[in-house]
Formats: sequence, structure tokens, C-alpha cells
Amino acid sequence: MTSSPTLIALAAATAWFLVFFFVHVGGLRAGFENARWLLISYAACFLGAVVTATLLTAWHHGMQAVILATMMAILTSACLFALYVPALYTVLTSLSVQTMMLLRRLGGALPEAELYDRFASRKITEQRLATLLASGYVAPKGPSYQLTPRGRAIAKFFRSVKILWNLGPGG
Amino acid sequence: MKAICLASAMTVVLLALITFCFRLCPSAHRARQMLFVYLFCLAVLVALWFATPDDLGLLGRSLLTEPAWLDLAAMLFFFSAGFFGGALQLYNLCDRGFSLRILIDLLEAPIGAVDVDYLTANYSSGRGLVWMYRKRIDDIVAARFIDQVNKRIVLTAKGAMFADLFIHARRVLGLEPPH
Repeated sequence: MTSSPTLIALAAATAWFLVFFFVHVGGLRAGFENARWLLISYAACFLGAVVTATLLTAWHHGMQAVILATMMAILTSACLFALYVPALYTVLTSLSVQTMMLLRRLGGALPEAELYDRFASRKITEQRLATLLASGYVAPKGPSYQLTPRGRAIAKFFRSVKILWNLGPGG
Repeated sequence: MKAICLASAMTVVLLALITFCFRLCPSAHRARQMLFVYLFCLAVLVALWFATPDDLGLLGRSLLTEPAWLDLAAMLFFFSAGFFGGALQLYNLCDRGFSLRILIDLLEAPIGAVDVDYLTANYSSGRGLVWMYRKRIDDIVAARFIDQVNKRIVLTAKGAMFADLFIHARRVLGLEPPH
């Protein structure tokens, strides 16, 4: 009895995603820069999932089944990644989460003004600009900052979505 | 393959319906509005899966997923991931993304380059960072993670539980010192 191509694809994508998760966490713990390591480790495991699903299906099935398994593996892996990344960035960068963690560490209560000093100040803008600078979205110009072509493309794309969805400035 | 075809088509319908709702019936609770659209589309999707033939009238036999329940499960997973990991995150980024808003403020700045003070004071088209943080505080108060008592912010029991969860997650990622 041969296995279903879909089952092979789902199993391969899930197994490789688990590998990616452990490799990514291991890299973060070893001090690798998150965004780059996230992409490199995911790209490698994505390829692993596609190749595994393709080869295992080709072993027992015909060409059309290989196409089905490959597409299933691509989509499953991409969906798992799409669910993982927002959860990761919530833990890493969300100001609401950081506020709750700070309160927890400092006994559960803080004056409102102290929180505003920490999370609504010039310092937090500087920190985010440093991240955007490291990612290549902004570039320094004297004491100021300007968008790089990459940053401009991202900003224009999301501004278009905001206009299409009638969202207002937000932030 | 039926799972991929139906989930992809319904994701396009979902995005169109969300756009339609946001433009024609704007609500203060957009995430909730999106969730209702998702649940409606999910119900239609399941009905479509049962109502259509396995091959959708065009797929070859070797493109059919067996067993059939796996096709249904895969379709629900693809569609749900498209919503929670795609549409809902796109909305979150557009409406709440801090770094993204800085990029858009830079794009909309009257001069090509601006400094940190300008960005802090004019965050979100002139609202400023205090507005941004007020919004976040209001949201986590509404979600009952924190309370406001005499100009102090106090973590609720629910907030403490979630804070522990996040601290533990950061510890796993090696971003927090061990106990």
C-alpha cells in the first residue's frame, strides 16, 4: 500500500517546519540577528520540505501526484510560517506585551507617567529607527533620517492598503 | 487539489468582502468585523466543499486528495492560515504597526529627511507618540489585561498570566535571563 501524496506532503512540511522552529530558536539563543536568521533558516527548511515531498511522492506515484504533493508542501509550509511570524513578532516587539511584562517584573503596578516616559518617548523612536536602519529601510542624512528605495516601496505599498481599506493614519 | 482551489478562491472572496465592509460599513471594531466575515466565508467554504464533486469537474484523478477528510482538513487549514496569518496580520500591520507608521511618516514628511524629535512629535500624521501609547493602554484595559487605578497602571490576574506566558516564551528564545 502506498501513502497518499497529500499525506506525504503534509507530513514533510510539518516535520521540516519543526526543524525550522528548533533551528531558528537555536540561532536566536546563539545570538544570531533575528530577521536574517529567520529568513535563512526558513528558506533552507522550505526547500527541504519541497524536495522531501517531491522525492517521496515520485518514488511511488506519477507526475500529477508529484505536482499535487509539491503544491501541498509549499502551501502547508507557507501557512505555518505565516502563522509563526506574527506570533514571534508579538513576543519580540509588541509595546502592549512589553508593557505587561514590565509590570509583571516590577510587582504588577507602576505610575502611568513612568510607563509613558518609557514607551512614548524619544528613546523608543530612536530604538525603532535603529532597527529600521539595520534592516535597510532608512538611511541617515546628517542628524536626520530618510527612506531608502526599499523603505519607500514598503511605505507606499502599505499606505495604498490603508487607503483601500479606509483605515486612517493608525499606528 | 480541491482544497487548494477552494481555499484560494475563498481567500480572494474574503479579501474582497473585507474591503467592501471597511469601505461601506466602517466600524470601530474592525478586527471583530473581519472575524465575522471570516466565519461567514468559512461556513460557505464548508458548504461548497460538500456541494462540489471531488474533481471539481476538471481535475485529473491523480490530483485528488485521499482520504477525502484530509482534503477538507487541509482546506480549512489553508483558509484559516490565510486569514489569521495573512489578512488579519495585514490589517494589524497597517493599523497598528509602529515601525511601519514611522516609514509612512517619513514618506509623508514635508522635507526628504527628518530627525527623531520630528518623528516623535508628529507620529501618525501629527498625533504624536503619547497618542499611540494611549491607544495601546486603552486596548489592553479593554481586554482586561490591566486596570487604571489613581493614575497607576495595575496588572490584572489575567494580565499576569499572559505576561508570564510571554516572559516564558522570551526565555525559550534566549531573550530573558533564566530564573
